[in-house]
Amino acid sequence: MRVERFRRSCVALLSVSLVSLALQTPAAAGIVGTADAIAAVQQQGDLAVVRDALAGADVREQMVALGVDPAEVEGRLGALTGMELATLAGSIKEAPAGGDSALAIIGIVFLVLLVLELTGTIDIFKKA
Amino acid sequence: MPRSLELRDTPFFPQEDFQCGPAALATVLRASGVAVHPDALAPQVFIPKRRGSLQAELVGAARRHGRLAYVMPGTGDPLLAELVEGRPVLLLQNLGVEQIPIWHYAVLVGYDADRNVAVLRSGRRERQEMRWQRFARSWDRAGRWAMTALPPGVIPLQAEATRYLEAVAGIEAAGDRRAAAVSYDAAIARWPENPLAWLGRGNVAYADGDLAAAADAYARAATLAPGHAAIRNNLAQVLADAGCIEEADLQLERALALAAGTAMTATIDATRVSIEADGPSSAAHCALPDRYWPD
Repeated sequence: MRVERFRRSCVALLSVSLVSLALQTPAAAGIVGTADAIAAVQQQGDLAVVRDALAGADVREQMVALGVDPAEVEGRLGALTGMELATLAGSIKEAPAGGDSALAIIGIVFLVLLVLELTGTIDIFKKA
Repeated sequence: MPRSLELRDTPFFPQEDFQCGPAALATVLRASGVAVHPDALAPQVFIPKRRGSLQAELVGAARRHGRLAYVMPGTGDPLLAELVEGRPVLLLQNLGVEQIPIWHYAVLVGYDADRNVAVLRSGRRERQEMRWQRFARSWDRAGRWAMTALPPGVIPLQAEATRYLEAVAGIEAAGDRRAAAVSYDAAIARWPENPLAWLGRGNVAYADGDLAAAADAYARAATLAPGHAAIRNNLAQVLADAGCIEEADLQLERALALAAGTAMTATIDATRVSIEADGPSSAAHCALPDRYWPD
């Protein structure tokens, strides 16, 4: 319980400090970035321009909560455009995360066998 | 297009648990001439509690290593065209089913139309042959997402201009202005009539502090796309910086009229405020005289 509370305050503190550190992206006052201009042409831009600043902070917080080393977060987010950050902010928990294949497949095969076993369709886990 | 082809020299990095993202990314980066190992990429893309890596972050990590991540259109032909040009393709597969997806990154290194197979570097397998239809379905179930890592200035023969410019704008946003400048120059050589290529070139010049080059590039962009508010906005800003206040005011007026009713209005208003705050008077000396700016 205390550990959990400590962990939470650490994450909160960290995200606040990261937010204040960051937002280094804006090109220069008065200049529309190329990525935003392209997005505007494709009429997806309105959202991105407005949400840029919020999205960065949001993704930062979610990444740390998902176990990413806080020291790495800045560099990772700095490589993305405002539009990409905005998209990520809304999808980081569900977007496809490519991982292992072999382990997952074995896991699923096992699961299917287990279900079949429990429903009585097959009988391979019988005790001797 | 040849009946069969295999990029046999493509390196191979057997993946650790859940680390197909770093392994696949290292494969295409190494093939494009970047000396990098999956171990160095994992901290840049892996998300522990998702037990995997996201597409957006593979794109970002490629940029951090000086390569443009060109996200390909979702059809088979451009994939094969990349192989023909000697570049392996990183792609996302869903090895499960729609309801229980198993997301996996692999690298397409070859195909054989006569034997009907795709050849992949995948997971712990250095050379995996997959029946083409099975491979295509796994790619289809993953939204047909694929990317190549391009050295700055290299444009795929079949590239779509906007996709390519998005890739360049991405590496520009990541802060690699050198790579962006070289790539915008290549884009301008390939698509001289594309206003966004000129806009991007102008933005890099502006960030480098080269006001004259930025103004010329923006002017060219505005001539090609007179109705594009963002281009007028940027031209106004650089003209104001160069002390050409009257010219800047005119461009700003155009920008505001074009942006009416869109979110861009706020951006242009901010430009007006910053110009008025910086610009001392309309009597300022214009450092870019005797030039023609699009009306």
